[in-house]
Amino acid sequence: MNVDMETKSQSAPSRERVAAIHTELKVEDETFLTDNFLRQLINVGEVDILVGLPTYNNAKTIGSVVRAIQSGILRSFPRERAVIVNADGGSRDGTPELVTGISIDDGRPASNLFALRTLHSISTRYAGSPSSGVALRTILAAAELLRAKACVVMSPESTNIETEWLSKLLRPIYRDGFDLVTPTYRRHKFEGLLMTNLLYPMIRALYGVRIHEPYTSEFGFSGRLGSQFLSQNGWNDGQGVELRLTLAAITGGYRISESFLGEKDHVERRASDLVPTLRETVGVLFSALESDFAKWSTVAVAQPEVPTGGGPGALLDPMRVNRKRLREMFSTGIVELESVFRSILSPSTLAELQRIARSGEDEFHYSGELWVKTVYEFAASFQKSVISRDHIIQALAPLFRGRAFTFLTENRNASANDVENNIEGLCLEFERLKPYLLQVWKSGE
Amino acid sequence: MPLSKDALWYKDAIIYQVHVRTFHDSNGDGIGDFQGLEKKLDYLQELGISAIWLMPFFPSPLRDDGYDIADYNGVHSSYGTLEDFRKLLEAAHERGIRVIIEMVLNHTSDQHPWFQEARSSRENPRRDWYVWSDTDARYKGARIIFLDTETSNWAWDPISKSFYWHRFFSHQPDLNYDNPAVREQMWNVMKFWLDMGVDAFRLDAVPYLVEREDTNCENLPETHNILKELRRKLDEQFTGRMLLAEANQWPADLRPYFGEGDEFHMAFHFPLMPRMFMGLKLEDRKPITEILQQTPEIPPSCQWSLFLRNHDELTLEMVTDMERDYMYDMYAENKTMRLNLGIRRRLAPLLNNDRRRVELMNGMLMSLPGTPIIYYGDEIGMGDNISLGDRNGVRTPMQWSGGKNGGFSGAEAERLCAPLIQDPVYGYPAVNVLAQRESEHSLLRWMQRIVTVRRSTGVFGRGSIEFLHAANHRILAYLRRLGKEAVLVVNNLSNSAQAVELDLQRYKGNILIEMFGNNIFPRVGELPYLLTMGPYQFYWFRLRRV
Repeated sequence: MNVDMETKSQSAPSRERVAAIHTELKVEDETFLTDNFLRQLINVGEVDILVGLPTYNNAKTIGSVVRAIQSGILRSFPRERAVIVNADGGSRDGTPELVTGISIDDGRPASNLFALRTLHSISTRYAGSPSSGVALRTILAAAELLRAKACVVMSPESTNIETEWLSKLLRPIYRDGFDLVTPTYRRHKFEGLLMTNLLYPMIRALYGVRIHEPYTSEFGFSGRLGSQFLSQNGWNDGQGVELRLTLAAITGGYRISESFLGEKDHVERRASDLVPTLRETVGVLFSALESDFAKWSTVAVAQPEVPTGGGPGALLDPMRVNRKRLREMFSTGIVELESVFRSILSPSTLAELQRIARSGEDEFHYSGELWVKTVYEFAASFQKSVISRDHIIQALAPLFRGRAFTFLTENRNASANDVENNIEGLCLEFERLKPYLLQVWKSGE
Repeated sequence: MPLSKDALWYKDAIIYQVHVRTFHDSNGDGIGDFQGLEKKLDYLQELGISAIWLMPFFPSPLRDDGYDIADYNGVHSSYGTLEDFRKLLEAAHERGIRVIIEMVLNHTSDQHPWFQEARSSRENPRRDWYVWSDTDARYKGARIIFLDTETSNWAWDPISKSFYWHRFFSHQPDLNYDNPAVREQMWNVMKFWLDMGVDAFRLDAVPYLVEREDTNCENLPETHNILKELRRKLDEQFTGRMLLAEANQWPADLRPYFGEGDEFHMAFHFPLMPRMFMGLKLEDRKPITEILQQTPEIPPSCQWSLFLRNHDELTLEMVTDMERDYMYDMYAENKTMRLNLGIRRRLAPLLNNDRRRVELMNGMLMSLPGTPIIYYGDEIGMGDNISLGDRNGVRTPMQWSGGKNGGFSGAEAERLCAPLIQDPVYGYPAVNVLAQRESEHSLLRWMQRIVTVRRSTGVFGRGSIEFLHAANHRILAYLRRLGKEAVLVVNNLSNSAQAVELDLQRYKGNILIEMFGNNIFPRVGELPYLLTMGPYQFYWFRLRRV
């Protein structure tokens, strides 16, 4: 079993050997990959396919995930050299052992699946507290050392993962030369509101690329994109690394594709999850706008859809959303954070928001235009650091809830097509107001 | 050099498979012959082999390169006389080389007098020596082996107006082993050659001797009974002789051919061979170790026979569909290289003439459990000619020199039994014995060396095997042990340099002696033994406590 636990008394290669490997491979931080993990990588050797699994106490779901991955590799890539790399944040529920247990070699033949070659499943416990950034960095480092041609990161939480997902995310890279494959799902029309109301339309308007799920826990990428991204600075906090990878692919001119995976299980999120999510997504996006200004400021129109395998559509099953609470949190936020908003927003935008906050439920309407202006003003203020950047991101939370209330209200009885049309309308609004962003971005320079 | 007296000589043997027809022509008629082969025995002795296996040399219409025998008690006139064969046998024995000959039990040529009699009328006494039927609907469970040429196992005989059974080509009618007279006659045939001094038989196509309804007509108990009866007679009347089974079957189906040491002495390990090629291409030991782990134990007096290539196509019958597709794509992209369920190519072209891979494959052939067989010409890296039909592309004349006809024959080129390889890479001007004899680093010299090293110990022929499951799957490592002797074999199946740590704790304190250079490697200590290996490199280490 290839579980990398430094406490295990496996024989260690000499310090000189490990040091030599570190030096040769130019891994910037010597403590980043453990000796034991390096030994596992040496044993795996060069691969064609790498499947990354970031985990932390996922024993409940990881079994079905790794079985689907194993099956996906054997069915779709039986001839390719493949490895499953688990970057674990210190699970205490046996997650790594469940991952490594699906290795197939001459000592452990697959029970009911025929395998042409050895399938390694290795695991490492990275240092520090659980972090998707550190996990992804570990996976990217492994991919680079193993010279993986095509890589995919899979979510350890998926309860409805299908064998085909692996192929859908990897094949465009391995066979067709794409560098990034993001998934699209069939979701409930009220799921992923941050994605549909901000990330997708804003990235589309600014960068000119239509990626419906730019921030996702499942995606495929090429070895060359992974290596390029690994060499970038800014790994310290590791926040929103998935989105940063997407943006790096866009700005680096890499070939991007989407793959439709089917229905995605709904994961319940608590209201308190919003701010961390905003940090990992909107915060990352706003930061990127600063460094990418030369690129996004010159993009005129969004390019056509990236290649995709089928349309996502939307599910219309009943879904319970506490709309009242959204409106209340918006209104409370407007009052309590007024001084903060004065630093961030233009007087007219703030006045309009305050007017909405005072309105009754029936009159409440946070229009698309106002929402786009709000977001753009936040982005410009973030760039200027008018106050602490983290405070700016936190302050966006109540406003997003207000926008979400309006979106839910407007689309309460809408069909899937109507919802798509409304999102498209918002996208166009983001595109139309792009000059406004440039204007507020440059104001005060 | 006298022949060894050991009855288990075949366990230590290194066998060289040779086709009289294409080895050396002594009389300038363009066809190899016994006298030609005899002249080359010194070469074979120098190579270090201890037995030769002669492909069929009997009178035959040669529609299947001699596997269609028309007279079991004679020799084909093209190859010389029976007396020439006797002399060859004697000369080989004088050099310590045993002689294995073919015995095609399953079928004869349709030109054999027995069949001519049998088909002449339904009342002929020999009628029942073959398998006849008024319908071609019997034994439907039997597969067709030569898929590229045959559509049925039954052929219509217009003379006797009935169908006859044939598992191979339609011109090769199967003998009827339910007939005691056939069984008796075939033993008499074998006895004829044994009396002459032949050391062993390679019994061709043995799974198919008996047919039964509602079976696949392979490996039937009745077939095993017949083979056991032949063995019993052999043991009663002769000593130190050997039977080698050609049964292209899965290991579990092969195992019964050894019986309890009372059927065959040896059998080809067909499923291993394609997996060695597969493991090399995949750079993964899994196919090799898996098939060997599935290989059952055999009685102590028995032995597997291992080979890389032979006169037939590289058979892919004993692999899964997925493995077969992989092998075709990797080794026979050009579809003309495919024949039946196999690949009709020689060793060197299969391995892209990569000397390192040729050496590695031979290294495994010589160190895995069993008796290795070298196919003539592979010791110098001969190529093939896929433009020749059937399997003739791997049966071209031996390349002795860069001179006329490669030193094979003094005849005019158009009279040769088969054209020599003439392409720039594998042609006889580039690849020949004479040139390689004169080069210290030639493949031929290397083959001589590995044969010598293999023969320096009995551990490879008779020892046990234990796989060391190194975490690096590109490394195939195993321990061969016999008594107190232990040899560690480490093979790098990869095209790149590899590091491997081996668990040799049981041998802590031993030093490793590399067997080709006799150099000492570090002592086995507390930690796993670290080896770094170049691409396709292999090591044989003798473990020794000092």
